[in-house]
Amino acid sequence: MKPMALSFLLFTMVLILVALNLSFGAVSLSLNDIISGFTPSSEFYFTIHEYRLPRTLLAVLVGGMMALSGALVQGVIRNPLASPDILGVSHGAGLAAVVLMTLFPHVSVYWLPWAALCGGLLAALLLWLLCGSHSSAIKLAITGIALATLYSSLVDFLMLTQPLEINNALLWLTGSLWGRGWDQVVMILPWLSLVPVAFWLAKRMNLVQLGDDVATSLGVSIPVTRLKVLAIAVGMTAACVSICGPIGFLGLVAPHLARRLVGGRHQILLPCAIVVGMTLLLLADLVARTIDPPIELPAGIMTAIIGAPYFLWLLLRTK
Amino acid sequence: MSLLKHTSYPRQCTALLLVLLLFAWLSLFTWSIIPISGIQALMALIAPDDDSIAHHIVLDIRLPRVLIAALVGACLAVSGAIMQSLTQNPLASPSVLGVNAGAALGMAAVSTVTPWLGFFGTSTAAILGGAIAWGIVMLLGAAWRGGNEHGRLVLAGVAVSALCAALMKAMIILHEDQASAVLTWLAGSVAGASWHQWQSFWPLASVSLLGAFFMSPTLNLLNLGDDNARSLGVKLGWARVICSLIVLILVGSALSIAGAIAFIGLLVPHMSKALVGQDNRKILPLTAIMGAVLVVMADALSRAIIYPMETPVGAIVALIGAPFFIYMVRTRTS
Repeated sequence: MKPMALSFLLFTMVLILVALNLSFGAVSLSLNDIISGFTPSSEFYFTIHEYRLPRTLLAVLVGGMMALSGALVQGVIRNPLASPDILGVSHGAGLAAVVLMTLFPHVSVYWLPWAALCGGLLAALLLWLLCGSHSSAIKLAITGIALATLYSSLVDFLMLTQPLEINNALLWLTGSLWGRGWDQVVMILPWLSLVPVAFWLAKRMNLVQLGDDVATSLGVSIPVTRLKVLAIAVGMTAACVSICGPIGFLGLVAPHLARRLVGGRHQILLPCAIVVGMTLLLLADLVARTIDPPIELPAGIMTAIIGAPYFLWLLLRTK
Repeated sequence: MSLLKHTSYPRQCTALLLVLLLFAWLSLFTWSIIPISGIQALMALIAPDDDSIAHHIVLDIRLPRVLIAALVGACLAVSGAIMQSLTQNPLASPSVLGVNAGAALGMAAVSTVTPWLGFFGTSTAAILGGAIAWGIVMLLGAAWRGGNEHGRLVLAGVAVSALCAALMKAMIILHEDQASAVLTWLAGSVAGASWHQWQSFWPLASVSLLGAFFMSPTLNLLNLGDDNARSLGVKLGWARVICSLIVLILVGSALSIAGAIAFIGLLVPHMSKALVGQDNRKILPLTAIMGAVLVVMADALSRAIIYPMETPVGAIVALIGAPFFIYMVRTRTS
């Protein structure tokens, strides 16, 4: 399919999903109700404006950013099994956020993304110290997963010793968009400024894909590029995690799907991955909210149900 | 440890049994809301007095708890040791290869989605669920047998675990309001232990532990590799099926009593291998004792750490086990 037709198709899908997310839930609304819901006089104003709209926006932003950070990580370390959650970066960021919330409960929530950023960077550093730059795809993935297990058992421990509200606990253990509103949208907005930086690095990432020798001879410094790209990826992951917890497998699956759709050129791949990520998270949250309303499942459960079999399939193919 | 390494095998076992008894005794009376002395705890066992509250606490609450903790530890540790021989993979253990998560999924399915299957019993459901997860991992693993593919099998196990855990959480959230009880169960806890539980648990568990000891010579032969084992007269298919069944029963029955305690099956077999080498006839009994010591100890800690509240014992074990898992990944995968 031509890129133009494809991008048109994907955007239509995102728009349809946004509309579906706004209309379904504990109460179903028609398209007219949704449109009238944007004006304060409408009876649906509260449902739409205060509840569903910010949540849908967050699904769009978080889905896009998680997918983008996955694409960045896979691009520079040339490892099909890599993504922020497989490498333990998401869980490290989540652990830092939970530590901040449980041990320093009086600190403003606006520090959460920064705490998550520190946690994510530390997790990435620890992984690098344990693995170095020349380990196999499998070893990197398994070390990352082992570290993620450690972080999540620490989160478990904190949750169980310093009981939070249970929905909060599930949020931090599986990832969820439950109860998120305009405050969180405002929290994530500044981090969107990382997206253009990622696009600016896309050309250099194409060269990194050619292999260390070729890239160096073409004038790209591999370590510097890698460091920049990974830092951006960790920053975006931290922002997402501090808002909806470690949503698993999204950063792994979305870039792979995008690569199958448009190939490996990063100028096209990165935007496509973003849109695919948006679609996936919108879909996951829609299913999670509407499967048995008013009970909600964490969106992280839905992404795991899609993502884990996909990971198995990837594992079978990875040499 | 180094002192233990150079003594004879019977002495090692006796020493560890004494450690187990010591911890069991400590765990009978320490960190109790109503103060109980060590002598009272002993007296309750020897000459129970119906009028003493302390004796009632020791006999009706603490004793079944200690017994269950010890047997759960033994079951999980031995199942880890068997899996390591079966898959030729030093990282294998029930929690890493998805058996824990599969068993938990089975239990959740029976208790929430299909309560009419209640006659199955939770432990049967746990065994069936574990069997399905284990089957998937082993089918995938068969493609990777031989060669240095330790990491790949573990990644497959992790993915199957993630899938089972997601499905299980979905079932539980859709059906239960008591999510925090579920969280505690998921972390693994023996706090609700009772004599009733012990009676439904010990026959199955001890029979399958004995079965495991009986299979240990075969496990030794399996360690030599498929070809050698076959030429020495081992029927590979049968040996694998029987060992897998033992693993599933051990894990399923332990899980249905105490919830998903992870990492015991990974940690303990390596500790006993460090003591007695590679002979499964020696490893399995020692592993059982050490597993029991570890869980009894962790359970005592779980009551102490935020006294007077309790932490699930699985959370404590995970804090010890996860760094060990990282260490094993670093040293045992190429």
